Amino acid sequence: MNMRGDVTLSVETEEGVERPAHRWVAVCTGTGCVSSASEELRQALREELDRSNLNGHVEVRRTGCFGFCERGPIVVVHPGETFYTQVKPRDAKAIVEEHILDGQKVERLLYHDPASDTIAEKWHEIGFYGKQKRILLSNCGIVDPENVDHYLAREGYQALRTALTEMTPEQVIEEVTDSGLRGRGGAGFPTGVKWGFARKAQNWPKYVICNADEGDPGAFMDRSVLEGDPHSVVEGIIIAGYAIGAEAGFIYCRAEYPLAIMRLEIALTQARELGFLGDNIQGSDFSFDISIKEGAGAFVCGEETALIASIQGERGQPWPRPPYPAVSGLWGQPSNVNNVKSYAYVPRILRMGAEWFKNLGTEGSPGTAVFALTGMVNRTGLIEVPMGITLHDIIYDVGGGIPQGKRLKAVQTGGPLGGCLPEDYLDTPVDFDSLRAAGAVMGSGGMIVADETTCMVEFAKYFLKFACDESCGKCPPCRIGSTRMLEILERIASGKGIPEDIDRIRHLAKGMQNGSLCALGQLTPSPVLSVLRHFEDEFWAHVSEARCPSASCQMLVRAPCVSACPAGVDAPAYLALVAQGRYAEALAVHRDSNPFAMICGRVCPAFCEDVCRRGQIDESIAIRQVKRFMADQYYAEPWTPPQLAPPKNIKVAIVGAGPCGLTAALRLAQQGYEVTVFERMPQPGGMMTYGIPAYRLPRQPLFAEIDHIRRAGVDIRCNLELGTDFTIKSLKDEGYQAIVLALGAHRSRSLGIHGEQKKGVYHGVQMLRDIALGSLPDLSNKRVVVVGGGDTAMDAARSAWRLGAKDVHIVYRRTQHEMPAIKEEIKGAKEEGIQFHFLVTPVTVLGNDAVSGVRLQRQSLGDFDRSGRRRPMPIPGSEFDMPCDILVPAIGQVTWVNDESLAMIRKATFDVGKAFNFDNTPGVFAAGDAITGPATVVQAVAHGNQVALTVDHWLTTGDMGGVYYHPKRHDIPQLFDLEEYTEAHRPVSRALSPQDRLARHDFAEVEMEFDAQIIQEECKRCLRCDLEWLERIGEPLP
Amino acid sequence: MPIVLTINGQKVAAEEGTTILEAARDVGIHIPTLCHHPDLSNVGACRMCVVSVEKQRGLQTACTTPVSEGMVVDTQSEDARATRKFLLEMLLSDHPNDCMTCEVNGDCLLQDLVYDYDVAWPEYNGLRHTYPIDPDPNPFIFIDRNKCVLCSRCIRACQEMQNRDVWSFAYRGFETKLVAGADQFLLDANCESCGQCVAYCPVGALYDKMSLKTGRAPSVSKIRTTCSYCGVGCNFDLNVRDNRIVRVTSAPDAPVNGMALCVKGRYGYDYVHHPDRVTQPLVRAKWLDAKQIRQRVADGTWMVANVAEKRVQPAGNGIDSIVPDTFIQTDWNAALDVVSHKFAEVKKSMGGDAFALLASAKCTNEENYLFNKFTRQVLGTNSIDHCARL
Repeated sequence: MNMRGDVTLSVETEEGVERPAHRWVAVCTGTGCVSSASEELRQALREELDRSNLNGHVEVRRTGCFGFCERGPIVVVHPGETFYTQVKPRDAKAIVEEHILDGQKVERLLYHDPASDTIAEKWHEIGFYGKQKRILLSNCGIVDPENVDHYLAREGYQALRTALTEMTPEQVIEEVTDSGLRGRGGAGFPTGVKWGFARKAQNWPKYVICNADEGDPGAFMDRSVLEGDPHSVVEGIIIAGYAIGAEAGFIYCRAEYPLAIMRLEIALTQARELGFLGDNIQGSDFSFDISIKEGAGAFVCGEETALIASIQGERGQPWPRPPYPAVSGLWGQPSNVNNVKSYAYVPRILRMGAEWFKNLGTEGSPGTAVFALTGMVNRTGLIEVPMGITLHDIIYDVGGGIPQGKRLKAVQTGGPLGGCLPEDYLDTPVDFDSLRAAGAVMGSGGMIVADETTCMVEFAKYFLKFACDESCGKCPPCRIGSTRMLEILERIASGKGIPEDIDRIRHLAKGMQNGSLCALGQLTPSPVLSVLRHFEDEFWAHVSEARCPSASCQMLVRAPCVSACPAGVDAPAYLALVAQGRYAEALAVHRDSNPFAMICGRVCPAFCEDVCRRGQIDESIAIRQVKRFMADQYYAEPWTPPQLAPPKNIKVAIVGAGPCGLTAALRLAQQGYEVTVFERMPQPGGMMTYGIPAYRLPRQPLFAEIDHIRRAGVDIRCNLELGTDFTIKSLKDEGYQAIVLALGAHRSRSLGIHGEQKKGVYHGVQMLRDIALGSLPDLSNKRVVVVGGGDTAMDAARSAWRLGAKDVHIVYRRTQHEMPAIKEEIKGAKEEGIQFHFLVTPVTVLGNDAVSGVRLQRQSLGDFDRSGRRRPMPIPGSEFDMPCDILVPAIGQVTWVNDESLAMIRKATFDVGKAFNFDNTPGVFAAGDAITGPATVVQAVAHGNQVALTVDHWLTTGDMGGVYYHPKRHDIPQLFDLEEYTEAHRPVSRALSPQDRLARHDFAEVEMEFDAQIIQEECKRCLRCDLEWLERIGEPLP
Repeated sequence: MPIVLTINGQKVAAEEGTTILEAARDVGIHIPTLCHHPDLSNVGACRMCVVSVEKQRGLQTACTTPVSEGMVVDTQSEDARATRKFLLEMLLSDHPNDCMTCEVNGDCLLQDLVYDYDVAWPEYNGLRHTYPIDPDPNPFIFIDRNKCVLCSRCIRACQEMQNRDVWSFAYRGFETKLVAGADQFLLDANCESCGQCVAYCPVGALYDKMSLKTGRAPSVSKIRTTCSYCGVGCNFDLNVRDNRIVRVTSAPDAPVNGMALCVKGRYGYDYVHHPDRVTQPLVRAKWLDAKQIRQRVADGTWMVANVAEKRVQPAGNGIDSIVPDTFIQTDWNAALDVVSHKFAEVKKSMGGDAFALLASAKCTNEENYLFNKFTRQVLGTNSIDHCARL
């Protein structure tokens, strides 16, 4: 296929003289670009050319859709294929004067790719088109859809002539069958076989019907073909008419496509004038004509029997098959119904041959697929890709990935009746059979991408609502079933779901699938079921906890920051209190759900800030900094946590004095239990003490906050190790009625490579622990290589730098994009001159007794794994050696305990049920890193809150699970005018300079605090989503 | 050549073009239906008749699927039964729970199916329609859309039996609603009130307005009769309770008309028990002998009529008020004597051709034959005609 459009066309000048046009400007006049004033632009270009006396020398051509609608209107200047985007009528002058007259490209109108930060000059240099293969859309952007000469110049109507003069109808059908073309309406039935049925039917007259009732929300594939290349559809329909022996054709086009209908009408008139329609077409004895029937906007009329009913002037409702339309269709006569794209492929297949088509795409699904790519991708629009391309390539290469570096959550194919696939299905090839096997469908070609902020209940509800509204109402399963299902989803989304609802959805789905008359009813449950299959946990979070994990269900999300915080800390409340200078109350609000305000004020990754709505306007609120300031005001004031229930005289043991264990101990003590915490190390704090270096978390606030827990009446006993100094049995014997194992994950994973026992291999966890214990390793003038990309790796590297290492390197097997470490740490490490080496992994530790270096192998990123990150794949023969004295593995930690009776998952974490309980050991619970693997302080605190609630519930009722920690809500009034803060910006945080850090040569805190005025002003930038929510749920404002 | 198929393990022969439903019913295998009616076209809307057919994907509706050679059908498969039960759950979830006072209690297809499939009425299962009850001023047809199952039998009856096309569906999805014309009143939508829609309604959504609260199926006795309005000879069942006609229902086995009836046959029965009905002959006083009037009225065998008050005066009363045009309620002999004397007088003075006779469509063939004989033989004229020719 010729993509360059270098066919020589002639244009008519005003004097009526034809002369060759060497230079031409294509202006997209698809609906998308027309709605952004491309017709005015075309006019402006003509006027500019006139003004420059170029009319007649340069042709301005209206063309069909380029697909990159997001950047429309599109203008391409030929020759040279210079691709201009978002061109306004006022830009016409620049294009004519700078480009056409002076030969200088108009830089500001070229496409700037945000992902690669490059400028693409030519059409095919744009990433969007890189993996596309435009067969069906090959004329779009090249020909003038209203000028049949353009179509003829591109071998138009050749296929029809060949069919009429050289082929029998049977041969046409055979050719189409051989090509393997499958119906592009969605079901993928072999087109040639379908034609064969209609051919064999005995009755006469027969009809050909083109289904152009493209009703999927966001899909515009058929429209673009009709608008950009209407003659290809007309030619395909005529060929089909010849093949089945039909007398007339109908194009059923939705009335919402006025431009497509207008261009089709022009095309039909032109085809009649040229003798491609009418009596005795091209001198043959085949007579055929086509008329257009405008649809009235019912989605169900895309179903062939409903479509036929609609053409007949009846209510658009489906009828049971058999009889199939091939036997009894329009007015009871044999009829063939195909999608627009199916017909448009046919002339190309006849022209290029079945073999050519078969060699495109996959064996089972030859050809290309046209999609409307929408949702959370960087580049949206109309795309045509070869069948068999992976979802990944569509989303990341064509679509340019997910905006703002977010993670992909799911991709919906097949429109509102299709299904969604999660991240780990990204390598699924896109073809009829593979998608169906994966639980999604090809459908007619909508592809909607959802990122991690999408709530899947909401997602399912959206599609269901559409299908529900579009049910024709004929049969009860669809008419009533879809309403019932929608009611359930709405209930769930507003936090009023009940556990039976999940089964009820499945019951309704089965009934609808088995009982509905047509595909609309049968497939309505599909999106819901596929979401339920891949994201059932999200449903349960809504049902059991009235929580929307993606913080998007309006009735459930008081504020995104509160939802994003694992511990549910009421950020808007304490921000509001700090704004008023009420620091003590603000701190009390924080402590309601998280006792470690000073600690989290320093080390929290601040999930709240990632989702802050203010961040969508300018910058998110500096919530963590506010927290630190507020907590530090009470540095010297010891807090005694309030007692919330009378003493119970029940003993509970917590093993492990990390953030999880201490929080659980605090909550249980507040509920009146006698709590003892057993700690293996000399000091409490767990990883806060022994994992986080003092330059991030100074010891003074850390121990101050641990002392608060003691004041709640918790007995913390150090230097006692489970399995050595005491056992679960001994604790039970001592009368502890519940035991919570909050052991953390302290055992470093080994690299699993040769030479790991050599002297000089020094695990990151061990290094950090040694430093915390005061036995500083001597690293001066040592060359240190740290392996890993998490916080431990960063902390070890930055500590080694502080201990005087000569140079410090970090090797990581993926890229910075995939690093799990928090951004501040990576930034800090870079400031400190630590060198990063990405896409490398150690394969051998070099050296005799002691480490002399490490052999590394380069990696490339391959398929997606379950974590949604691309799997590193070794590049054979790429090994190289990196000399070093100290090799620091920091690739993760596991839980370890000297007690084999406790169930583990893959020897890494405890295997506990939803209620944190060990199935076979009643009264023993586990929480925190010990069950999640290494996480953050705030996640451990959240676990501590939850496990305490679970233990209390079990001790008082004997029931396991079913209780969820709901943080207390505080409604704080807003006492100032938010309007005054519309222009305010987040303060830039200050830190010790790297020179100061090294000059002081110690572990001094790097980040510096803001003063009170800055903090109070910052708090006033908060948009107070919580107050808006109060209005939404109909409660009075404070 | 009949087609041989297997239904529930039983070999069944059926003609080509027969549906699974017909083939099954021919051999006594019952498949539940709701929207199907043998008089009407099949639309496969209610899905109650779904059956499993080997080698076919999903379930098939027995009412629309033609039989084919070697087809193996299971009407009681687990999927089919579960689906039917599901359909009933769905219908009940948008149906009132008032069988107690419903007019069609005991004569309702939905009720029977719900009983057979043991479906409970859900207390709360989401939105239910609350359409106004009896919103249409049509004097004969009562509508309660809350009970409508959208089976479209009324639509098809109106379209296919009566050719009036009054009913149709409007709106979409859960809001789909049975409407007359463009959501108008029935009479504005060209309804001729034949009540065919009511006759085919399987539930209590459409009912005969005149029969509301007069007695339900189990409490009436049905008496087959021939319509007295015209000579077509339609049969129907008079529904009688306490010796009063409370309703007319179609008799599916009626040889002439089947389920079809016109507005007069179905709703024109109220004259039977009407207080205004004339059941005794009334003769003007001037045609009778004055002495006889005085005597008969005095002894109470005749009575003086008060036309203005649509009643006769009590026995013995009113003699003084008689004027020549006053109606006297007489016995039949006296009245017929007046007529026969008048006929004889006319024939004698002016000949037979002075008569012209018009026969009524309400008469039977036999009565019309006698009428013809009487005209030609007794009165001696050929001037006879029939109201149907007017």
